[in-house]
Amino acid sequence: METLVRTYGRGLTALFIGLVGFWILLMIIVPQIRMIERAFTYEDRAGETATLALAIDRAYTEKFQLEQELSGLERAGPAVGQMPSAPSPFAPSMTMPSATPVAPAIPSLPTPGMVPSASAPSALSDEDRTARAEELRDQIATLDKEIAELEAKEDTSSGEAGMKERISLENFTSMSGLHLKIFAMTLLYALTVTICTFLISYPVAYAAAMAETRGKLTLILIGLVIPYASNELLRIFSWVMILEKNGVLNSLLDSLGLIDLAAGEGFRFVASNGAVFSVMVYAYMLFMVFPMYNTIDTLDKAQIEAARDLGGSIWKIHTRIVIPHAKPGIAVGSIITFMLSAGTIAAPEIVGRGLHPDWFSQLIYRRFFEADSWNQGSAYSLALLAACILFILINMAIFKVSVRDIAK
Amino acid sequence: MTAATDMPGVVSGTIRRRKTGPDWSGALLNGYLLLFFVYMFLPLIFVVIAAFNAAPTPSATDWQGFTLRWFMELPQDTRFIQGLWHSLIIASGVICLSIPLGLSGAFLLTRLQSSAGTILYTILVSPILVPGIVLGVTTMIFWRDYFGLQAGLLTTVFAHTSFIASYCMLMFMARLQRQDPSLEEAGLDLGATPLFVFRRVTLPFLMPTILTASGLAFLQSFENYNTTFFAIGSSWTLVTEIGSRMRFGLSPMINAIGVIFIALTVIIAVTHTLMARKRA
Repeated sequence: METLVRTYGRGLTALFIGLVGFWILLMIIVPQIRMIERAFTYEDRAGETATLALAIDRAYTEKFQLEQELSGLERAGPAVGQMPSAPSPFAPSMTMPSATPVAPAIPSLPTPGMVPSASAPSALSDEDRTARAEELRDQIATLDKEIAELEAKEDTSSGEAGMKERISLENFTSMSGLHLKIFAMTLLYALTVTICTFLISYPVAYAAAMAETRGKLTLILIGLVIPYASNELLRIFSWVMILEKNGVLNSLLDSLGLIDLAAGEGFRFVASNGAVFSVMVYAYMLFMVFPMYNTIDTLDKAQIEAARDLGGSIWKIHTRIVIPHAKPGIAVGSIITFMLSAGTIAAPEIVGRGLHPDWFSQLIYRRFFEADSWNQGSAYSLALLAACILFILINMAIFKVSVRDIAK
Repeated sequence: MTAATDMPGVVSGTIRRRKTGPDWSGALLNGYLLLFFVYMFLPLIFVVIAAFNAAPTPSATDWQGFTLRWFMELPQDTRFIQGLWHSLIIASGVICLSIPLGLSGAFLLTRLQSSAGTILYTILVSPILVPGIVLGVTTMIFWRDYFGLQAGLLTTVFAHTSFIASYCMLMFMARLQRQDPSLEEAGLDLGATPLFVFRRVTLPFLMPTILTASGLAFLQSFENYNTTFFAIGSSWTLVTEIGSRMRFGLSPMINAIGVIFIALTVIIAVTHTLMARKRA
């Protein structure tokens, strides 16, 4: 700290600290904390709104029944100023329970004979009818008030204020079996992608590092950099063109006479887990090559030649000299490849063409933007993040490298 | 010293002599390398072929004649043009933020050697190791919850900066490690203010790296899909627009854009590699 102030002065040091503080707080730490906070906060929004909606429905049904009864009374009784109409075929039921399920019908029926379950007013005296009408009006007024209250409550609960939140693990535990399976499969695929890219790219990195002439090395490096620097989407899309029903692969099969494209034969290679898998191996291959090349390049070639002179087999030379030396590079390559494949949304979205069985990243997207459940989305992304951190830690333990070796 | 450097020379001399016979493992390795490059380039070549194919859906095999139609249609597509503008705005914002942040981080870290330095280092490089979609998600949540800022161009700038600044920082740290501290000290001893030394010694020394880092920041931001996908909200960049059209693959216009991308990449990659070789 003292050297810092001595070299750059108080003002600049304060500026540096301020900027780094801004970066850490607003872009790294607090956003992560907020996501974790949301992940562990279960919002009982759906439950509460559902209960409210049910209560409101019930109140409306009750009100409707009462109004039916009232209008029946009004029609029947001269006390309310109307001519008695045809008697209802139903027996009077003064104690009609409001719980009787009545299918909501058109509120004001012009033909009284059709009024369902309304009491038969003609069986009652005028006084009784008036009293009953009063009673019904009171009840309806109470219900109106109740409905207004419930509806007000419903309004606030769809905003965040009325949301019932509690700290719990439910966002994680409520992950359905299907989602859990997708999570596990995504990680498994990412791991397989990592291993495949390592196996395929190791000889390439070795060959580049061992290039005898400068010209050859330049050529190899340019050849590696071009696909590496091409856009990720482009690399993914290039494989869609190969795997599609009218794509290159089916055309090849067609020209070999194995299938007949014109007759509508041909495989739909895209939109399958296998397709996403092979596309990811291709798209993220070079993230494995470069870190490995960088470490193998620093190996003293004399070691390999000495081993060869002493009769070491090719297998031994690689397992005992090159790979141990390349450990940090392998660790970096694995971490980056795994992280990219587990966290990509580009590959499953584009290869899937809207039909693909979900990838975990797509689930996260849907939690946020389709299910509108940000807390569950946070929980899902936290699960993904945790898996990646775990993978990094395992790698650091296996390859015995530190953070400083990883991010260089 | 001389013995140590001489020895490998002698050994490699004997190896080279042995290599006059058939070198099977070397030939095998070269063959593998060739196969690998075919694997890497062939798919991209299909993309390029389809861009010049008159067939109305992107196809490399169903050749219906040469056309430049898909390139001509690009400037008329308002969503692409608008997306391009958004991408450029975002990338400029990212450069403006990432360079000062990366510089500050690098200055602090090269002067801090304690365990606090390791913790700070871990925090500052962590965004590189986090999946892109997680960065997008956290940024989107954070700015909406605490500042009421809806996902859009600004949040995308923040999301990109969080990890691009880390890349810039690593580049600056690598450069600062090669700096001769005596230059700064000499300036200070001769009575210059720290600000003056910073402006006249430190910044000029870092200038080449600042330029490369800006270029890298621009490319990283411009090409990003996974983080942007979450942080952009209902807006779009060129790349997210391309992504959403690729899902349905309806028009070879995306291939035309692809060709432009590949051409730019080839130019940048070749010049960069040649320059790096020359410097080495």
